Amino acid sequence: MGAIVTLEIKKNLQDRGLLFWMLILPIIFTVLFIAVFTSGVDESARQQIITSIVPGYTVMFVFFIMISMVSTFLKDRDLGMTARIASTPISPYFYLLGKWIPYIFIVWVQIIILFLFGKLVYQIPLAQPIFLLVLSVILAFTSTGLGLALALLVKTDNMGLAITQIIGLGGALLSGLWIPIDMMPDFLQTIAHFLPQYWAHQAFQDAMNGTLMFKELFQTLLILFAFGSIGFIIATVRYPYFLKRARG
Amino acid sequence: MITITNVTKFYGKKEALKQISLSISEGSCFGLVGPNGAGKSTLLKIIASIIQDYHGNIQVTNGRNRKEEIGYVPQEICLEQTLSAYSNLCFFGKLYGLKGKTLQHRATEVLHQIGLADRVKDKVLHFSGGMKRRLNIGCALMHQPKLIIMDEPTVGIDPQSRRYIFEMIRRLQQKGCTIIYASHYMEEVEQLCDEVAFMDHGKTIHYGKTGDLLQQYAVPAIFVKGTIPLPKEMERFGEVSPHKDGYLLTTKTPLSAMEEVLMFYKIRDNGLERLELVRPRLEDVFFTVTGNKLRDEII
Repeated sequence: MGAIVTLEIKKNLQDRGLLFWMLILPIIFTVLFIAVFTSGVDESARQQIITSIVPGYTVMFVFFIMISMVSTFLKDRDLGMTARIASTPISPYFYLLGKWIPYIFIVWVQIIILFLFGKLVYQIPLAQPIFLLVLSVILAFTSTGLGLALALLVKTDNMGLAITQIIGLGGALLSGLWIPIDMMPDFLQTIAHFLPQYWAHQAFQDAMNGTLMFKELFQTLLILFAFGSIGFIIATVRYPYFLKRARG
Repeated sequence: MITITNVTKFYGKKEALKQISLSISEGSCFGLVGPNGAGKSTLLKIIASIIQDYHGNIQVTNGRNRKEEIGYVPQEICLEQTLSAYSNLCFFGKLYGLKGKTLQHRATEVLHQIGLADRVKDKVLHFSGGMKRRLNIGCALMHQPKLIIMDEPTVGIDPQSRRYIFEMIRRLQQKGCTIIYASHYMEEVEQLCDEVAFMDHGKTIHYGKTGDLLQQYAVPAIFVKGTIPLPKEMERFGEVSPHKDGYLLTTKTPLSAMEEVLMFYKIRDNGLERLELVRPRLEDVFFTVTGNKLRDEII
């Protein structure tokens, strides 16, 4: 499994497209939207908006890793690498874990960089840094876990891209990452409770302000862990079908 | 000895393999021949444990994990293009549990074996088709498998690389490896393999030793080119048909026929331009056995 982890990290470090999706685009969006929403508002409202936008856009863009994951898995499938690896003694679980772990690490680094950017440029509060770190690890696990499932479910890159947009943008809209959740209709607020983005965003905001209780943290971690684990379970169930379509 | 017993594989309702039974002697080079869509790759994937939902039984000696015994060379070039030849070999070596000095030593050894020792650090991206094919084979040799499965390993390469790969295969066989070589190029299989199985429509049509098959099924012929056409009476030796700019006389007694042809032309002031014995080919055997020419089926 270590060999696959190392290989994936090497490949991703060479991928400039990933740098664009994971860091450049979210920073551009954060800067633009903060500029738009904070113009003409007082300092306290400004700080409130920034404290919502920075974690909000971080959570939203975290899910765009799914595009990269779909593309990597489909490339492996179509170039024969999946079949070739299946002929070696490595088990399907370790193959999936080997492909998955580097993405967890990448997303975790992405979250840290985006928060550090918020801290350096907008002086966002980071009152509970340990909680924030734990949350970022589990969010990385969740988004990539769902990415893993998607990669093994879709047949083409375009399908993957479309579903990622639905999960990323749709989830962001419904979870209150763009508009404060209180301003949304009741039924949409209920739907939000079924989305990982909502839980991650709320917990991030509370941890930034230093108001996140241990019980709430545990609840959020459990929910996010469940989403990620479901992703891994779907991926393992789908693997035989994925392998059937593999060339080689 | 590899024993394949009654292997059947369905893709949905389509029966891709129908009751395949073969036994492959240890240390032999076994050719699997047939047109595209015959079921060769499916059978190879089953032997290599890539496909696991099939009926029947496959036994690959020693009782060890089958995957550790087998080196699988897929039809596609499965390499990481942005990495060097050395890194690619190390990657596959690690998947088979090699590490440390053993891994480094083995990677260097394989690089020499595949003739890429001078391109250790170059990215695969810059390699020619033939070099990629050799590295593709090299990756399957890292763990020194006893059985090597090669699925069309020479597709789209130049004659020099093809010859190099053939020599490599012969060396592996001399070292005691058993090789299963699938191809639809009959002449390759004829050159390399001691045993051959013909496959078509998911079935083995016939299998046996290459020499025996050639002797049993292929009828030799002689090619004649002269200033005057071959007389009708030559048909007593066999079938005469126009071929290129001369005639092909298919006969079971080629030497007698050649003698007769020589006499015929000698009497007529030696108008003979060319007289050749045409060696029977595996393709002829396939034709005789199946009654079909090779097809190129789109699947």
